[in-house]
Amino acid sequence: MTYQPCTPEYAQCAPDLNDVAASLVSTHATPRALIKETREVVDLARRFNKEVVRPYVLELDRKVHEDPDFLPWDFVKKANDWGFYTMWVPRLFGGKGYFMHSMSAFVEEIGSACVGMANLIGVHYLGMATLAATWNAPLMMKIFRDVAAGEKAGDPRIISLAITEPGAGTDVEEPDLIDKGNITCHAKKVDGGYVVNGTKIFISNGHLSKWHVVIAYSDLDLPSQNTVCMLVQTGQKGFSFGRHEKKMGQRACPASELVFKDCFVPDNMVALDPEQIKDLKRDAKHTFQQVLDYVLGATRAGVAAFATGAARGAYEEALAFANETEVDGKLLANHEWAQCMLAEMYKNVNLARLAYMETNHHNASSGIYKSMLSKGMFQFSKYAPQFFLDKIAPALVGNGLTTKWLRKQSFDSQPEEELHRTSGWGSLAKFSGTDLGMKNCHMALELMGQAGLRHDQRAEKHFRDAKLLQIYEGTNQLNRLNLFKCLISRACPQSCVFHDA
Amino acid sequence: MLCRGDKELKLVDGAATDFAAKELAPNREEYDQYPFGPFWDKVVKKAFGLGFFHASLPVELDGMGLGLSGLSVILKSLCSQDASLGGMIFTNALAQEIMLIAKAEKLFEDKIAQQKDAFGFLLAFPSFNNPSEVRHLAQVKKTKQKATLSGEVPYVVLGGLGSYALLPACQGNEQDFSFYLVDLKGKGVSVSEPIFSLGLHACPAVDISLDKAPALLVGKEGKGKEYFDKAADRMHAAQAAMASGIMEGCFAEALAYCKEREQGGREIVDWSEVKMMLANIAIQAKSAEMMLSRACEAADNNQPKWQAAARVAAIQASAFACEAATDGVQVLGGVGYMKDHGQEKRLRDAKQIQALMGIAPMKKLKYMDSLLGKG
Repeated sequence: MTYQPCTPEYAQCAPDLNDVAASLVSTHATPRALIKETREVVDLARRFNKEVVRPYVLELDRKVHEDPDFLPWDFVKKANDWGFYTMWVPRLFGGKGYFMHSMSAFVEEIGSACVGMANLIGVHYLGMATLAATWNAPLMMKIFRDVAAGEKAGDPRIISLAITEPGAGTDVEEPDLIDKGNITCHAKKVDGGYVVNGTKIFISNGHLSKWHVVIAYSDLDLPSQNTVCMLVQTGQKGFSFGRHEKKMGQRACPASELVFKDCFVPDNMVALDPEQIKDLKRDAKHTFQQVLDYVLGATRAGVAAFATGAARGAYEEALAFANETEVDGKLLANHEWAQCMLAEMYKNVNLARLAYMETNHHNASSGIYKSMLSKGMFQFSKYAPQFFLDKIAPALVGNGLTTKWLRKQSFDSQPEEELHRTSGWGSLAKFSGTDLGMKNCHMALELMGQAGLRHDQRAEKHFRDAKLLQIYEGTNQLNRLNLFKCLISRACPQSCVFHDA
Repeated sequence: MLCRGDKELKLVDGAATDFAAKELAPNREEYDQYPFGPFWDKVVKKAFGLGFFHASLPVELDGMGLGLSGLSVILKSLCSQDASLGGMIFTNALAQEIMLIAKAEKLFEDKIAQQKDAFGFLLAFPSFNNPSEVRHLAQVKKTKQKATLSGEVPYVVLGGLGSYALLPACQGNEQDFSFYLVDLKGKGVSVSEPIFSLGLHACPAVDISLDKAPALLVGKEGKGKEYFDKAADRMHAAQAAMASGIMEGCFAEALAYCKEREQGGREIVDWSEVKMMLANIAIQAKSAEMMLSRACEAADNNQPKWQAAARVAAIQASAFACEAATDGVQVLGGVGYMKDHGQEKRLRDAKQIQALMGIAPMKKLKYMDSLLGKG
């Protein structure tokens, strides 16, 4: 048979390479500086693990078991001192300007020692990414520069994201479900802002955060079209903390209840509402879905990175045990079955990592990182003189026009297929990575027997920590459905998602 | 649920179910705080008063003589609400079983059976290890009159509570080991603080350090492996009962939640993916119950190869329990991960129970060895 060049007919066959091989398509476009900074953050994370995380991980976990209301301010201050809360904030907004792409590798490293502590750093960027995805430049300037000022002052000013409600978990992450959900957090429009009433639960880092990105709804009968995203500050009138949840794992990272009673939020603290986006191509529901997809495409990859960390932590504890324990008269590492279990665990770590890396390539080529990684923007944000970024740029971006332009560029220019690709891959990474993480934790405990049950051997903590990863950022069941919706349903023209009866 | 449908078992089942509902379920979270909260002395004493710690002991030793079926009924019912008490009863019964197999009834009567206090009656034992797999053995030194033990024995369950511990020990590098009874309040014995573990928090374990601690040989010297294996054969059914109980409780709580909680405007039990998860839990629970029933029937009637039925039940039921409890948390979502519900504890306890009497994959290999006639 002689070679014949591919014809468009075959090139267009499913699956589209853009859908399934983002790394192949985008590797050549990855700036070298990005590869260099990924190495840098991994080195930094390993040093931090050695000096801070590993010596403290068991003590902190015990402390929170002894006193469920203990808050790890000491750790947050350390992370602040090490510069982690501005590391992935663009230099334009006062940060160090590392690209979010490299953050997954960082949280995997920290997560391999303690997922709870990784969350104490990583969840801040969930809040940050949500604010960034609204493209509200003046608010980004205000909040991110405050975070940077807090770093200089040794006073952590971290950000949380408040979205889950007592009666609605999955519903609030899926605009197709939200109108049928039991939504109660109300943002009533009044002169000069909104008045918020309601409760948010399971808010990671809530008690530790200065800033809270709060999602509320101006019409509870039609929340999908009336979503309001706003910034609330700890100590603000009408806002207080409720209970501090007692979780099975990830005890280092508090899950908080946030209570709003006639809490007034002025217009200048509203990051996004239907009024602000009425001129965009999509309606309010679909624009907010786009915000969610932007954020979740990245943060679900982040959860997969946490899970890769947990999978790795479990694998490393099991490997250490196999290297030092004799079972049935010979070293466990010399039992063929144990070698196969360890190989399986090693595979799980690497498959989980591949899933989040591939998703990040999708985010770079089609999602939230796309505009930041375009050649001009990357060079500008990486190499523009700091003086210009500090003194001149804020005046340029701190007005409504910049926000309008950014939103037009980001929201209106993103085609549906890119939206589906990043959202679908975010889900794929999330449920694959977290299932593999949990699988490894199960295997580690099976391999280690009695030793694995002990807190001082660390494996059991990975197990407790990993389970939550299958639940937050949308349960794995929701994520499977989202993957179907985004990447499979087009092959099932008669299918509809979220309408199971 | 079990093969013996006799009245006595039904009464025992009723008592255990009632006890679990009234004494265990309402305060589960509080009891689970141990070792960072108070120990549940009163509950243990009540359970002792009801004879749960005497269930499988023969009547001649002041036991209830309920056999494996009786013990399993109790464990299953208790573990559906809180497996920690089950862990205590299991450990005690395993140690009792070893003493009976070793024909050390006299020693048991002299030192254990005469104890009138619940904690005095508890026999501590390293129930999460098979001493011939991972050799956590003390060193024995013998003179004509007495034996003394030295060294460390980790993770001795009930070690901080009971009067006596049954500990494995060997001499020098000898392959064979023996069991010794050690007075935990006697000289040369020190116990650690309670070990903070994954699950079964209120079934505490400690590390024991021995320094020439006086010890009494149980049964014959060098027969430890044989005694342990024989006891384990029977106790595999009890392990399956604990796993089965956890699944029963897990399914009940998941189903109740799914009928209450709405998502997308309807009860989540009506979402077919959730229903599928519930179905998987129910099927695993039912399968485990059937295996357990078969194992108890085979063991109580001394049927040929009853040991295989018990081992299979233990391996498969504990694996099912880990899967079912993982899904049991998942069905409840974030709520299931919180300590004010039973599911997260069931997951931790299920994983802990899987490790009873040794490393889980080794149990499979041993089963295969038994099929090959090598075990």
